[in-house]
This record gives sequence, structure tokens and C-alpha cells, in this order.
Amino acid sequence: MIRLQGYTINILMGIAAVTLVGLAHADMLDGYTLQIIMLIGINCVFATSLNLVNGYMGEFSCGHGGFMCVGAYVGSLLSVMFFGDSKLFGTALFPPDLAPFLFPLVLLGAMFAAALAGLIVALPSFKTRDDYLAIITIAANYIIISIIENIDAIGGPRGFSGMTKTVNAMRDFIDLPWMLIWTLIGVFVCVMVIRRLMTSTYGKGISAICQNEVAAEMMGVNTNRVKIMAFMVSSGLGGLSGALYAHVYGYVNAQTFGLLKSTEGLVMVYLGGMGSISGVLMAAIAFTLLVEVLRFVLPWLNTALHSINLLPSSYQVDQIWTWVFIPLMLILLMHRRPEGLLGNRELTDIFPSLKRWFTLK
Amino acid sequence: MPLLKIFSLTQRFGGLQALSDFSFQMEEHELVGLIGPNGAGKTTVFNIVSGFYKPTEGSVVFDRKQINGLKPHQITALGMARTFQNIRLWNNLTVMDNLRLAGYAWLGYNFWSAILRTKRYWQAEKDIDNHAREILEIMELTDYAEEFPKNLPYGLQRRVELARALVSKPRLLLLDEPAAGLNSADVDDLIRHIRWIHDKFKLSIWMIEHQMKVVTALCQRLTVIDFGCIIATGTPEEIQNNPSVIKAYLGDETL
Repeated sequence: MIRLQGYTINILMGIAAVTLVGLAHADMLDGYTLQIIMLIGINCVFATSLNLVNGYMGEFSCGHGGFMCVGAYVGSLLSVMFFGDSKLFGTALFPPDLAPFLFPLVLLGAMFAAALAGLIVALPSFKTRDDYLAIITIAANYIIISIIENIDAIGGPRGFSGMTKTVNAMRDFIDLPWMLIWTLIGVFVCVMVIRRLMTSTYGKGISAICQNEVAAEMMGVNTNRVKIMAFMVSSGLGGLSGALYAHVYGYVNAQTFGLLKSTEGLVMVYLGGMGSISGVLMAAIAFTLLVEVLRFVLPWLNTALHSINLLPSSYQVDQIWTWVFIPLMLILLMHRRPEGLLGNRELTDIFPSLKRWFTLK
Repeated sequence: MPLLKIFSLTQRFGGLQALSDFSFQMEEHELVGLIGPNGAGKTTVFNIVSGFYKPTEGSVVFDRKQINGLKPHQITALGMARTFQNIRLWNNLTVMDNLRLAGYAWLGYNFWSAILRTKRYWQAEKDIDNHAREILEIMELTDYAEEFPKNLPYGLQRRVELARALVSKPRLLLLDEPAAGLNSADVDDLIRHIRWIHDKFKLSIWMIEHQMKVVTALCQRLTVIDFGCIIATGTPEEIQNNPSVIKAYLGDETL
């Protein structure tokens, strides 16, 4: 008999991914659903990468949106440089037929740039910790956004676009839902990197720093190096989510990646449980769906409250209320279950029978 | 050539002189003790030797290399490990992981090996696992391999910490009050374990300890410090009868 243990989850995920791609290819998913699915994927990458710092390393990074921003812009710029004609880079560097093959380069470039940007936080983290480091991460978020917003050559506050051309070039080569495929690959790579890192003794140095930094340093862990590694991996994968975002929407604007974006990441991490890959993945899915559900529920609520004359006709419940409900949820969560849905456990710890099928630890 | 040689170490914290002109040396395979009343500067010595503090003056030579100025993890890689007065285990990692992590200094693979799971990664993980299991067995901790240290009784936590220090393959082991807070049965176990590892691994051990029972049972010689200065050296018997040591511990009779 073929031993399936350890591969089952990969096979299941593979089947799910192929089904999704198949459905999208056969036009059985409308554009909106497809976009939500891709956004879920992007949020999964964004949240699990933030979890590396906030969950496993126990630092409080609230500037993850900044790294997503770097990834989004660098990814977009590379994409336009490679396959688009623009005033900035002139004509395309490569013929459009190469788009499906060179797109990984775009993503890798974005990850590399975001990982470098991660040094803004990694270097101060040698001496600064906890709340003080959290303040530095907020500052880093602002610095990144202000810099990008003030470079007029890449659109400044007007944002940057042109990535659709790359996506179209890929579609012209073979008609497939390319961005869905890349997003799924992105999620897979991100989860695999974090899982492999955190199950290796090398990566457990991150947990050691979280739990007792003095002991870690004294027992031979090069804490400064591990911190650089953790921050760079985290921000690099954050950059991956940015590059995917840029290509899914075809337009980026620095303001999208402000503190609100970083907060979304925090909500997902703290909802799912710090230091739990499966928890954060579930939270990323739930959170993205919740935001979309509220988009429908709020107008409905508005009509309902007006029809029973609870609200003055001059006041409308609009989409801003999303950002009342979600923080409210966070307050309740912190009050009732501060460790998140799963805490630092994985699904397999809660349902040990799942271990027959997969392990995340 | 002595394994560890300390030349006139002085440590000032602001206006406080925690250590003055402390010199000391120990040979390979010695088991020596450092004692003194509370606040005498014993842990300060250990903190300097293990690289946690930079000494104001003086130098530390370990295995012919000057090590003051190196970072703690570099010193560990050279073959020195220590335990702590207040236990510092990683409470949310299993006992086994605690031990494995102590092999960090000689892990020998990098980030990319861990991500790509190269041959070198599997080999290194296997080596470290075997070594950690061996130590676990020697320290009679095999039953607790998958427990979290926070759930273990205090005596066992101390033992796990000692085991963890051993996994880093040290040549010199610094034990900071290994018997603190242990009951008498635990203390007997501890004495047995320390003697065992001292013989088995041909280690040099330098320990801070208050309990005379442990010190007399184990140490070949003692150094006594008070207010940051060495006041006596000798065998445990000599130290017990040394008037200046009695004075430091019990006060001056003629007060």
C-alpha cells in the first residue's frame, strides 16, 4: 500500500487547487467570487507571514502593510518594466510570450526588495524590544508609504497601474486564470517556508528568542542573526502578498497599505492564534469573508433600521461600519479569548486524529 | 596550559564596584567551586566569563583565546556552557526541543538548507537528535522528552537545564547554584549526576554553590569572594576553618 501519511494534505490541497482553477477556467465562477478567492489567498500570505514575527517571535509588528507596499510597488515596476510600454522604462524588455515564465522573477524581485525593507525593523530590534519596537514598526510603515507617495515618477499619490498588461500577456499565451494560479502557489510557498522553518531546529531559535532571549543567546543562538532572518522572511513574504495584490487588482496606491492594512493583518493573526499556522489560515479566510458579508449585511441593516424608524432618515448606515464591527470583534476576542482561536496550537493538537493525515508542527 | 585563565577582572556598575582585581585559573578536568555571601559578585564573574557582561578591566582567556569582548553565543561555540541561578528554560518548547536547541552552535546548516530540506539538513537534525537523546538518557529524563518544562517539578527543571547545557558539547561547564531550591533527595541526585558527567565527558566544571554538602562532596578546591575580592582559596576543609571566611559569612565576633 502506498503510504499516504504526510502527503494527504498536499494531495487534498492539490485537488482543491486544481478544482478551483478548473472552475475558474470553465467560467463557472463569476469575477466577483474569483476576486474574493484571490483576496483570501493574498490575506493568507499576508497574515501567516506577519505571524512569524508576532506569533512565533513574540514581537509586536504593526507595520506589516509597509512591506506589502514595497512588494506591491516593486512587483508592479518589474512587471511594467518587463512586459509593458511606459514613459518610465520605455518599451518592454521581453516579448509578451515570456510572461508566464518570467512572472516568478517579478514575484521574487518583490520579495527580495520587501525583505531588504524589513531591515528597517530588523536592525533596531537588536537593542529595542516590545512596545518600543512596535513604535518603530509603525514608523517604518509611515516612512515607506511617505517615500513611495513622494516619488512622482511612479505615480506619487495617484498610484501606479499597467500590470494588467502582464496578466493579459499571460492569458494570451495560454488561456488560464493565471492570477488565481499564482496566488495559490504563493499561499503554498508561504505556508511551506514557514512550516519548514518552524519545524527545523534552526527556526526554533525564533521561539527560543521569544521565550527567553538571554537563554537563547547563552546557549549558542546568534540572536541578532536570527532576528534579521525572521524579520526578512516575514517582510519578504509580506512583499509577496503585495505583488500578488498588485497584479490581481491591476492598480496600486501607497495609501492602501497604511496602518489600516497592517491592522487587518493583526486582526487575522490575533483571531487565529499567535504561532499557529492553521489558526491564522482559518482566520484569514474567515476575516476576508466577514468583510465581504458585511458589505451586504450593512445596506440590509440600514434598510431594516429605517423601516422600523429606529434611525433618523438623515442618517445612513454605510460601509464605514465595517470598521466598527471588526474592531469590536477584536475587543471581544481579546477580552474573552486573548490567545486567539487556536492559541499557539495547531489543528492537529486539538484533533489528534488529524495527525494521521497531516502535521504542521 | 590552564583551560580558563582570568586576569585581574574589575567590573563597575556606575559607582558600584562589583568585582575588583579578580584573578583565577583552572585546569582541564577540574571541578572547582566559587562561594561567597549574597551579593559578593559570584554571578557577576559568571556573567563576564560567559560574555553577558563586558568587564571594565581585565581579561578572560579560555583555551588560549581571549574571550572577553566576544558575544555569548560565540563563547558557547568555543565550548563553554552555563546554567542559571533562576531557571531559564524555554517553557513552551518540549524538553527535547530545549535540548536540541542547545546544539545550535554546531548545527552547521543555514536557512536555505532548512527550507529546501537538503541532505545536510537531515544529517544535522539526525545528529542533534541522537546527541540530545543520549544526554536525555544519561540525565534520566527520557520519560519527560515530550513534556513542557513549565509542567515539570522544580528539581526536574534544574536537571533539564543541566542536560541542555551538556548538549552544546562544552569543555567547561559553569553551574550557577545548581542546588538552589532543591530538596535533599534532589540534591543527592544532583551530586550523583554532576559527578557522573564530570567523569564521563571529561568536563571541567566551575560552580557557584551555597550548600556545603554539595561543595564538600564535589569540589576539589574553592575560591571564596566577598565584596568583589578574593578572600580565600583552598580545599573545602581548609575553607571551612579559614577565619576570614567565617568572618565574611558570620560577621566579626569582636563587634
